Amino acid sequence: MEFGWSEEEKAYRSRVRGILEDNLPANWDEIAVHGPGSELQTDFSRDFCKLLAAEGLLIPHWPSTHGGADGQPWDHFILGEEIWAAGEPRGPQYMNVNWIGPVLMRYATPEQQQKYLPPIVAGDVIWCQGFSEPSSGSDLASLRTKAERVDGGYIVNGAKVWTSYARLADYCFLLTRTSAGKSGIAILLVDMKNSPGIQVKQIPALIGEGDIHEVFFTDVFVPEENRLGAEGQAWEIISYALQNERIGIPRYEFARRTLDRAVAMLKAEGRFDDPILQDRAGRVLAKCEAARMMVYKVVDERAKSAPASAFGNLARFTVLQADHAVSDFMLEYMPAGMLGDDPMQQAHHQRAIAAGIASGAAEIQLNLAARRFLDLPSENTRGL
Amino acid sequence: MDFEPNDNQTAILDGLEQLITSLRIETPKEGETQVFSEALDAELATSGYLDIAREEDFTVLDAALVVERIARLPVTAEVTNSMIVAPLFPAGEVDRPLALVQGSPLAPARFLPHAKSLLVDRGDDLLLVKVDPARVEPVESLFAYPYGKLDSVDGLETRSLGAAMLAPLRRRWRLGMAVEAAGLMQSALETVLEHVKSRHQFGRPLGSFQAVQHRLAMASATAHAVRWLAFRAAWSDAEEDCAIAATYVQDSIVTFCYDLHQFCGAMGLTLEFPLHFWTYRLKAMLGELGGGSKQARAASTLTWSAAA
Repeated sequence: MEFGWSEEEKAYRSRVRGILEDNLPANWDEIAVHGPGSELQTDFSRDFCKLLAAEGLLIPHWPSTHGGADGQPWDHFILGEEIWAAGEPRGPQYMNVNWIGPVLMRYATPEQQQKYLPPIVAGDVIWCQGFSEPSSGSDLASLRTKAERVDGGYIVNGAKVWTSYARLADYCFLLTRTSAGKSGIAILLVDMKNSPGIQVKQIPALIGEGDIHEVFFTDVFVPEENRLGAEGQAWEIISYALQNERIGIPRYEFARRTLDRAVAMLKAEGRFDDPILQDRAGRVLAKCEAARMMVYKVVDERAKSAPASAFGNLARFTVLQADHAVSDFMLEYMPAGMLGDDPMQQAHHQRAIAAGIASGAAEIQLNLAARRFLDLPSENTRGL
Repeated sequence: MDFEPNDNQTAILDGLEQLITSLRIETPKEGETQVFSEALDAELATSGYLDIAREEDFTVLDAALVVERIARLPVTAEVTNSMIVAPLFPAGEVDRPLALVQGSPLAPARFLPHAKSLLVDRGDDLLLVKVDPARVEPVESLFAYPYGKLDSVDGLETRSLGAAMLAPLRRRWRLGMAVEAAGLMQSALETVLEHVKSRHQFGRPLGSFQAVQHRLAMASATAHAVRWLAFRAAWSDAEEDCAIAATYVQDSIVTFCYDLHQFCGAMGLTLEFPLHFWTYRLKAMLGELGGGSKQARAASTLTWSAAA
């Protein structure tokens, strides 16, 4: 048992930092403040991800057979920590490299892999995930968007909601219903630019410009060769995808660096001698570091190729506690930041308030942890 | 980074498990609030476990693993101070069992009824008091540690160990608290999980209710976070990490203990039910070293002292 970084890992982190420092423009904060889903940041990501790809830093954790470098999970997290904490210059493409690519590698046909993976490897494609629906949020299995079998494929009708990046996306990882029950779900890889019948409507929201959308599908034809896996296999694929997504974003690192920045500002203003501020900041700091250690435990399991456990759900819960704690600290002691003084504070706040909702609501994480990690009985259990 | 014990650590823990098994430690009988196991304390001392952190081939983290495991037992022994704090001083300088107290040397201290030494953090000096057991008055309490206080220090051998030792003492005190809390939380949680799986109300196990499940999942997250913060602090032995771990512990104890007792209902308030052996050690820790605010402020100043 030991908790240090190897010399190679330190050098890797230093290299990533160097590349970020050398290549993020002077006005990067003005771009990053709008969030990964904004048009500005998405545009920026197309050039920046090409640069990362050229440096071997876009998909180093992927297997070499798919263009990666067979990198270790720890390197992937070091990369993620540095890039997310810098404001995520990969824009929406972080999702491609974190889970869409790995899911395609595991479940797509060779033809599908040939079609979809190279643009991800090149850093030049935007995906969105069509999961939630107006009547199907946390209860994902109740989704209704219908995929009706027709000659050569499916006709899709329905609506998705809260879909990040939809307005700019090239493809959608779409969950559809072909029949009743969990076995009646199919995943379709939909061409968002060339499929008549798709309408995307931006939803104004607290979490940033262009981040979430409604997507309407009206008689959209999707060829059968665009189905991922078998019709009855979708739930297995989704579960695998969510395992990768839940702790894929190193939110604790951004939270910690935002807290460091807040303390530096308080010190510069001569306010940090206040024992109340020191007390509160110390407690928030402890939450950030708790979240870090919980996520690192999950990474350690991955590095040892252990089967995924519900510990990841527990870790995710500590991450949202840290994100909220940092945001709440600044709201209480630095309210001017939300009133125009500090756009980066608002940017952190906008990400933090989504932390307990995106990638499975906090309550879903707790449900899964209770059932699968603590082995507590199901709500349907009857006994005495 | 590696979250699994190495070969050395596995050997230590395996040996410790055998020692615990050989002692046939049972949950104390109904009616007791605190049980100090003379047999466990003596066996740990004679078998060499308590000196691990002084050995060349072993580390503070190795000692922390032992402390965490012993804390999971329903009985106590003076392990944390001996294994985590005492090795700061040359062998033979501070005899064990060891008690710690802040402020007045006459304040109640954990383990004082069994202690040979008392270290007193006076704020501007570290005082060593050689304890005469005849001068210790036992203090009855709900806390599941043996407490005692000195009648006075008159006639007792006392010696200043110097103000320079205060920072190391507090670092290891915080570390010991965090590591011990990790074991206490683990056992407390396991006790309650067993209860909510077997206790039925409204025709269902208590643990099948979502209101219970969520809070137990949160308690589990807390217990695991404490564990890994504590072990990281033991590995680095850095002031900042120790203060962060202790802050998280003291910040978590109130909610953690409240929820665990709540889900056991009135049974959880009885001395028959063993939960108090762990929760009332955690509650005793709440006020250690001045309480959570002191640790949080220490974490702040240690972390950001050099920042602009």
